[in-house]
Parts: sequence; structure tokens; C-alpha cells
Amino acid sequence: MATTVTKHETLVGKSIRRREDPRLITGTATYVDDIQMPGMNHASILRSPHAAAKIKSINIDAAKAHPGVIAVFTGEDTKNVGPVPCGASLPGLRVPHHYILAIDRVYFVGHPIAVVVATDKYIARDAVDLIEVEWEPTTAIADPEKALLAGAPAVHPEWPDNTAFTYHQEGGDTDKAFAEADVVIKQRITSQRLVPNAMETRGVVCEWNLANRSMTLWSSTQIPHLMRTLVGLMLGLEENRLRVITPEVGGGFGSKLNVYAEEALMGFIAMKTGKPVKWIESRRENFLCTIHGRGHVDFYEIAAKKDGTITGLRVKILQDLGAYHQLLTPAIPTLSVLMLPGLYRFKNVSADIVGVFTNCVPTDAYRGAGRPEATHGIERMVDMLAAELKMDPAEIRLKNFVHNDEFPFPTATGLTYDSGDYAAPLNKALGIVDYTALRAKQVEARKAGKLMGIGMSTYGEICALGPSPATPAGGWESATVKVDPTGKVTLMTGSCHHGQGEETTFAQIAADELGIDIDDILVLRGDTAIVQYGIGTFGSRGTAVGGTAMYFALQTLKDKIKRYGAMLLESDDVTFADGSVICNKTGKSVPLAQIAGASYRAMKLPPNTEPGLLATYFWEPPNFTFPFGAHIVVTEVDKETGKIDISRYVAVDDCGRILNPLIVAGQVHGGVAQGLGQALWEHAVYDESGQLVSGEFMDYAMPKASMMPWIEAEHTCTPSPVNPLGVKGVGEAGTIGCSPAMVNSVVDALSVLGVKHIDMPMSSEKIWKLANAQA
Amino acid sequence: MIPQTFEYSKAATLAEALKAVDGGAKPLAGGMSLIPLMKLRLAAPDHLVDIGSIADLNYIKEEGGAIHIGAATTHHQVESSALLRSKCPLLAETASWIGDVQVRNRGTIGGAVAHADPAADYPAALIALEAKFVLANSKGERTVSAADFFVDTFTTALEPGELVREVIVPIEASGVGTAYQKMVQLASGFAIVGIAVRVASVGGKITMARVGVTGVSPKPYRAENVEAALANGDVDAAAKLVSEGVDANSDIHASANYRLQMAKVFCARAIRQAMSRA
Amino acid sequence: MKIAGNYTLALPQDRAYAAMQDPSILSKCMPGIDEMVKTGEDEYTMKMKMALASISSLFSGKVKIADKNPTSSFRLVVEGSGKVGFMKGDGVLKLSTVDGGTLVDYEGDVQVGGTIASVGQRLIDTTAKMMIKRFFDKMGEEAAK
Repeated sequence: MATTVTKHETLVGKSIRRREDPRLITGTATYVDDIQMPGMNHASILRSPHAAAKIKSINIDAAKAHPGVIAVFTGEDTKNVGPVPCGASLPGLRVPHHYILAIDRVYFVGHPIAVVVATDKYIARDAVDLIEVEWEPTTAIADPEKALLAGAPAVHPEWPDNTAFTYHQEGGDTDKAFAEADVVIKQRITSQRLVPNAMETRGVVCEWNLANRSMTLWSSTQIPHLMRTLVGLMLGLEENRLRVITPEVGGGFGSKLNVYAEEALMGFIAMKTGKPVKWIESRRENFLCTIHGRGHVDFYEIAAKKDGTITGLRVKILQDLGAYHQLLTPAIPTLSVLMLPGLYRFKNVSADIVGVFTNCVPTDAYRGAGRPEATHGIERMVDMLAAELKMDPAEIRLKNFVHNDEFPFPTATGLTYDSGDYAAPLNKALGIVDYTALRAKQVEARKAGKLMGIGMSTYGEICALGPSPATPAGGWESATVKVDPTGKVTLMTGSCHHGQGEETTFAQIAADELGIDIDDILVLRGDTAIVQYGIGTFGSRGTAVGGTAMYFALQTLKDKIKRYGAMLLESDDVTFADGSVICNKTGKSVPLAQIAGASYRAMKLPPNTEPGLLATYFWEPPNFTFPFGAHIVVTEVDKETGKIDISRYVAVDDCGRILNPLIVAGQVHGGVAQGLGQALWEHAVYDESGQLVSGEFMDYAMPKASMMPWIEAEHTCTPSPVNPLGVKGVGEAGTIGCSPAMVNSVVDALSVLGVKHIDMPMSSEKIWKLANAQA
Repeated sequence: MIPQTFEYSKAATLAEALKAVDGGAKPLAGGMSLIPLMKLRLAAPDHLVDIGSIADLNYIKEEGGAIHIGAATTHHQVESSALLRSKCPLLAETASWIGDVQVRNRGTIGGAVAHADPAADYPAALIALEAKFVLANSKGERTVSAADFFVDTFTTALEPGELVREVIVPIEASGVGTAYQKMVQLASGFAIVGIAVRVASVGGKITMARVGVTGVSPKPYRAENVEAALANGDVDAAAKLVSEGVDANSDIHASANYRLQMAKVFCARAIRQAMSRA
Repeated sequence: MKIAGNYTLALPQDRAYAAMQDPSILSKCMPGIDEMVKTGEDEYTMKMKMALASISSLFSGKVKIADKNPTSSFRLVVEGSGKVGFMKGDGVLKLSTVDGGTLVDYEGDVQVGGTIASVGQRLIDTTAKMMIKRFFDKMGEEAAK
């Protein structure tokens, strides 16, 4: 019996380098496209060049006759496959039947029409060009505002008003607040369509084993278990016959929180041909056919007292849905509504959503999903209010924040904010930039004719999605911890991290809880045949919900370990610490490996205890978590060109307890990059006829390393009471906080010229026009 | 993003390359423009002849009072050439603005000029430098000036069967200052406006000026009106002429009017920077 | 995309009007047109090879002349589609006599779809201009013959 006890070094809270990175940066990780199978065929999809058209005929003869082509399928062949699912339900929601291949009409550019299966991908692609389609183009509508005008072409002829749903939510008495207000400000604010552009495009490999009636589907997804359930339903295949494997995923940002036509289509092909089949999305398909983000045209009205006290908010949201509902399309703007009060105390909110069909690819969750839109709106309105009342934007925010003694704080939109000190990150950010001195510097700069701007946002988030009653598919998460007979530990999480670093953070949690070396811990996820049912990774939930489930599974297991330890030490008075169970009386100890061995050998069992060391926990969160923070951006606008220079970018985020500062910094940096992308550069532009004219990297400006400012990322820490880890989530914070701070800064720069609002993206030409409007 | 079937051959010598091009092969050097077009199936050549590793086309050398640059010389080689940096800094500076590191490591000067993208960087500098292009075919060679080479959008003086073999730029005289100023289209890295300027001055008076413009109109051009006006010494007034009467390009990144105005701004900046270096 | 401009043809107005509707001249002047086959009064099918730098693609489609207002105006509709997408040009050409010939004012819409629309955005404007210029340059040459 070992008696040496090594003190385990606590890992939670430390900047451990990501354990997953070596394989990712050396090109040795396995992605869907790395999967090779004997006899595997390749699929290539013919897509519509028209945004709206009737299909008069499809001739596949030449494609079928092309050497190497195994099969060609059209919508007629696949029409009995279940529709691409929409998981969101809203009262009165109109749900168009979303066939996996178009039957007789197409609704957006990129709409899949036919699929060629061939022995290699080159032959498949060549044969796609041999399919002849006779089109009858109809008039498309790509602009959600125009789509609601009388006489607009109908996206779906059965619904001439192009309205998929309307939704109303209110809290308090908004009419009264507006009637009694000293000041009311109105502004139309847009959040343009964005292309998520994960570095790895989507991809699917599917194998059908007829003998076993079993299917294995590899997909680059954020939600393997939900995909198994939904694809099984689409194909009419029993769920337990379907195994979904998610190999390495090269980014999702919400675009892979979905079930697309191609997953079921590959399932259909594998069953029809009896051979494995692979489809890898091209970048062009990714632009055209994978969901887009945002797509809001919002009409804001804010009511306030003369002293700057905000009393009410009215918002009408037009959500550009695109032509169909993907998994969560109509639900995204409802998240915006929840987020409308921001960090402020006012209790009167009235919100209306009109979900608008357009001849564009569907919108859905994209980093922040509904919350950046709302945060952008409220943070712009607060700045406009400050300008109107000639108040400092920091002062008006500090005046309206929820007070520290008001938590848990019930909001006008029905949420209960868990914990916070909303002034703390703002005050910290103001201190970092030396706000008073900075404003004085701005006065001097303006005297010198310079257009210098100081902008801030104080943002809240709804993270750790979420309590099951508030989510479409269950909001819990699952975890299993098992210790093998030799003492090595495997963690299996139902969440499906895809770059967030949970392979490291979960191992940090387990290493601390079990007092063992992190290298003895393996983290598995993303295989429905190995991992218990789980929900997935999205909505800043991976660690806050999945990590908490892991924490509770570890507690259950530790209890079992202690029982075995007590049995081996023949003592009732034991402690589990630093990887060993120790007898408090004798000081004798038994290490985990020995306990594990004994538990599997099972010569003797503790009372009421099963053999083996394994524990599974499904954790249902009692609430969302509500991280918050403040960003301050200092800009200078070149009046001659409209170019915006960012001279300082300060991000102070409060995501609760930080498990790994390095990973949190990475999340903030990446989030800010995508926020800057929206504020300054990115725009999915559809022309009037529904063609995506920024459909490639030559025309769609992604943030690049050389375009990024230096980010000063700092934190305050208000642990969440919602989970025992105290974590709140950080995946979306940077994106949510960035765009309003950025726009507020440039509006501040141009305020000397009478500019009050600027819509995104703030292109140089747009800014140049505003800066030279009088000239 | 899969191209159509094509035949590929790698030429070891210029003669081999010219023979293939004479037979209708499309020359491939860095492939920075051609390969994306092929992957999108917008271009579908039957036969590609790879000229990228022909040693005889990769050089930067001083000869006969000028600098000769082989067509297959990469942008990175141009931007980092000590010879060019000291004797023709405008070209090295312009090369450093092309695309990104990866593009500069693969893209070649011959490929770039033969492609004649109306927003490419090199043409502005080459026009300002009054560069010469040696065009070769299987029968021989001819030399054309930059002004005659760029004919229209994506259209050059190259005849079927011809290749750009060499670009010749002058050795900058002492007292000449040069600059390239560019407004970058952030998605593609191409120029919304790119202005290359060479100036010489004696006693504060400009005695020589050359202004090359890219990105603004369907083809790069020399702004002789600006050059002439600079003799008067008013930089802003001269720079304003740069887009006078020009039929400017328009796209989602910049309207025609914005291009016209930015041409003036960047022209003035380039002139001032060049003067400060003279 | 809206497109507008003008061009002066060194021809009298009646000859300019006639030349611009003469299929034998049209087919020679429209860049890349290989063949034009009459399918009805003022309606033709055509095959066209668009070549620009490394880009080359085959289109088939139709040409239609309408709203004829002899010697002063007519409408020209050109539609083509191919593997890289489709395009449609629909415009009105107005003719008037000026010193040195006939001034042709054109105004219309160019609509482009498919791959060329998504990836050739920054090229469409310059290309359309170039093709129109080539059309008129050639028209001037052909009609003068």
C-alpha cells in the first residue's frame, strides 16, 4: 500500500496551453474530409443559379451516362425523405415544406436540385455540368423591407404577404412610460447579413450497413446527438440504428448548429447505392447554402426622463429569415427580444417581431445569435439618448445599471439576471483608458480639426443555454467520467466542443477534482455510439452547462472512489485528496489506480456499490447565466478618405470564474474580430434579383490578422450562483460587446459634423460621405 | 471548387514553354489568378504549361543601364531585392503592397502583367517607370512599352502564342523620389485606387514627374495632365487632375465617384511622399 | 445593374438605325457571338463565347428587338445562359443626329446570375463597359463597309 502523497498542483484558473492544439497546427487532426473508406463514392450537388424560378424540366441522361457516374438523383427521387427540420415553434408559425432537393421550384440561389454520385469527386463535379435544367425564372425579392410592401413578389406563393410569423412580447407598461417621458428618440438600426465562414466548410460521409441495418454518419457539426435524432426521423431510420460521429470540426460559430439537407441526402444515397458516400462543401457552396447570420432591420424607440433615467423601450424587429426555416431560424429574433433591456433597470419593454421570407439562404444562429442585434440596438439608443440630453455616455450608463443589491434581478422580458456588478467592468475600462484625460485629449484633437471618437458599450449576455423549458431541444448537458482498471481517466461530454478548448478546460476540472495528472485524462466527445446523449456546443454553454455536468459526474464518482478507498483502508474516516484516499486516523493512503483496479477486480465490494468506476450525470441548469462587460474603442477618422483607425481597443469582460485565462483571452480576441467584421467590413450583399454578389473572399471581407487592433483584454469576476463552477460563458462576449462600441466610437468622432447614427458595415466610402456631407 | 479536366506539362526551358504556348497551351506561373478561375470553372484551359520553375525566367539583374526582371520572378523576390530597393525602389515598394504574404510568395511579375487585372498594383508603377516588356513567341521577340502593353480590362498587347519574358525598368537617377500609395480593397487586397509617382526637383521646382494610376478605370493609365501641372508647384491642384474626365469603375466596394475622389487624395499623398524622398 | 452611356457612330441616323438591327451586322458586332439564327420577326437565337483574360465560357440565348420607333429608338434584349451562370441585358437605344454622325444614347439594366455574379462582382461593371464599347467600335467599322 503506497504511502507517498504528492501534492497535486491546482490547474483551474491557470493558463494551460490547449492540449488539442499540437494536432491541429501540425495538420494531423482528422476532419470529415480526411475519412477514406473502401468503395466510397463522392457526391456533387447541382444548385440553382436563380433566386426564384420554376423548374420546367430536368434532364439527367447525359450525367447518368458519364463514365464513372453511379447514380443521379433529383427531387422526385428524394421527395419522401422528411423535410429539413425546424426545431423552433412559435404560435402561428408558417413552415414551408423544406424538401432536401427542390421539386418544381427554387427559392434561393444555391437551392439544391440534383445530386450526382460518382467514383471520384472530379467525375461527380464534371457530371453536374451535364445536367440540363429548363428554367422559368420568376421575380425574386431579397430585401426584407420591400418584401412586406403591398404587391411584392411572394417567396412562397401560398403566403403572399411574405410573413412567416409575427410575435409580440411586452413587460411593464410601455405606453405609459412613453406618454410620461421627457424625451423620446427613434432610430432605424440594421444588423446586416453575415456569412459565418467557418475555416472548415461543412462535410458529410455516410456508410450504410445493410446486413446490420445500421448507418454511420460523419458530419462536421456542433450537435451530433440532435443530428442523430433528426436525421433518423428524416430517413425513417430507427435512432438506435444511426451513429453520428463528429470528427474534428474546423469552426462552427452557429453555422453547424443545424441539420442540413445534405446529411439526410448522403444517408439516402448510402442506402440507395449500398456504398459509402462523401460530400464536402465547397467554399462557394458555403457562402450560398450554409446559413447566414443576423439580417435585422429594427425600429427602436427609447423613452427617458430629463435626468437620463431610461423608462421604456419599444422595438419592431424585421427578421430576414430567408426562404426557409433552418433548425432555429425563427427563434433567433426571440432571443433578441429577451436581451433588449441590456444591463439596465427600466421595466417597460414592448417588442414586435415580423419574420419575413426572402429569396435568400436562411438566416440562423451566428456567434451571439440574436443577442448582438439587441445589444447593438440598446447600446446605440443609450448613446443617442446621452447625446440628446448632453450627458456623458458613461454617466448615463452608470445611472441606469441594475444595482448590485437587486440581484437576482427580474427583467421586463421575463429573465432573472443571476448576479452582477455592472459598473465594475465599465469603471475598470474607464480607468484603463484614463477616461477624463482621454476626453480632454479629444477636445484638443477636435480643435486641431481631427475626427477623434471615443465609444463604449456595456453589454449583457444570455449564456449557458439554458434551462430546458426555455430551449427548443432540452437545455441540460450530460457527462460521464470513467476510471479504467489501471487508473487512467476518460471524460465523455455530451457537449461537442469544436475549437473552444474544452479538451483542456474539462481536463483541468477533472485533474483538480481527482488530484491526478492532466496527462492521465482523455476527453471524448462527438460520437453517439460512445458518448451518452447530449445537447451540444452553442450559446456559450459548453463549460457553463457541460462543464457543470462534468463537475457533478466527478462528485458522484469521487463518492464511489471514497467508498472503495474506505473499504481498502478498512476505515470509515477517510478523505479523498491529491489522487488518493487517505485514512484520517492512520495517515495511510491508497492511490486512485489501486482503487480502480480493486473496483474492477471486485474481489470485495463496498456496501451497496457496483463494481467499476464510472459515473454519469445529466445536469439541468436552473437558469441561464448572464455575463456582462464593457468595451471602449478609441478611433480616428481620416476625413479625406473615410478610413477608420482604431487607436485603442479595451475589452473588460465579466464571465464569472475563469478556468483558463489563455482560452478566455482567445475567445475574447476571436469574438472581437468577428464583431469588428460586422461593424466594419463584412456584408452578405444580395442584389435586387437575389444574387449573392459578395459570394467569395474576393468580395466578402473577412477580418484578417493584419486588420486587427491591439486588444487590451481585462476582466472583472462575479461568480455565477447558477452553477458550482461559478462560470458564466465567454464564447460570444467579444462579438456582442464589439459592434456597438465600435459604431458608438465612430458616431462620436463624426458627431461634430452632426452625425447621429451609422449603419454597419462602416465602409470607408460610407464614412467619407458622412464626413464630407456639407462639402 | 473543382476544375475541369486539363492537361498539365512543366516546361524546363523557355523554348519548351513557347512551343507549348504556340500550340495553344495556357501559361501557368504563380497561378494566383488562373487557379481560382479554373476552380470556379470560369476558366477551363485544355492545356496548362507551367513556366514557374524555368530558371531562365527568374532573375533580377542590372544590364545595359537598366534592371531586367524575369517574368517568373515572384513579387516577394521583387519586394525584397536589394538591387531594386536601391536602384528602382518604386517597383519594390509596389510589390510589397500586392495581396498578402502567400500571394507574394507565389505570384509572379510576368503573370500579373499578362493577366492585366484593372486593379492590380504593378501596372501603376510600371507605367510611371515607363517600363518595357519583352514579349516572346516561338519565332522571336519584340519589346513594347507599358503604355502600349495595357490595352483594356484584362486585355494586353500579347498576341496568341506570346509570353511575357522580361520586364525592364530604368535605374532611378539620383534626385528622383518615388512612392506608391494605395487604398486597399480589404476582401481581395487589390487596389481601389493605386497611384505610383516619380518626381525630381531642382531647387524646390519639380523638373520631372511621372504618375501611374491603377484601380480607377478599366485600364491603368499615365496621368500626364498631373505631371505637366506639377511644374506649377501646386501639388493639390495637380493631383486633382488625376481622375479628370476618367470613366471610373464602380462595384460594391467603391462607387465611381468615390474612386475619382480617392484618386485625387492618394495622388496628392503619393506626390508629397515622393517629393519627401527625392 | 444600371448601365447608361453614349457613343457616336460616324453614320447618318437612318443607316445607323438599320445597321443596329441587321442580324448580319449584329452578329459580327456583339462580342463573341458565333451564330445568330432567326426564330421570328426581330427574334434570334444565338451562341456566344465570352472570353476575357483567362475566363472563357459558352452562352446560348436569344436576341430580341422590340418597341421599334424607326430611326429614333428601339429596345434590345439579349439573354444568355451557360454553365457559369446567366446574363440578361435589356436596354433602350435612342438615336439622334449630331455633327459627325449619329449619337446613340443607351440606358438599361444588366442582370447577371450564377457563378459570374457571385465571384466576378468587381469585374462586371468594367466588362460590361468594355463589351459595349467593342460593340459600337465594331458597329462603326462594319456599317462603314
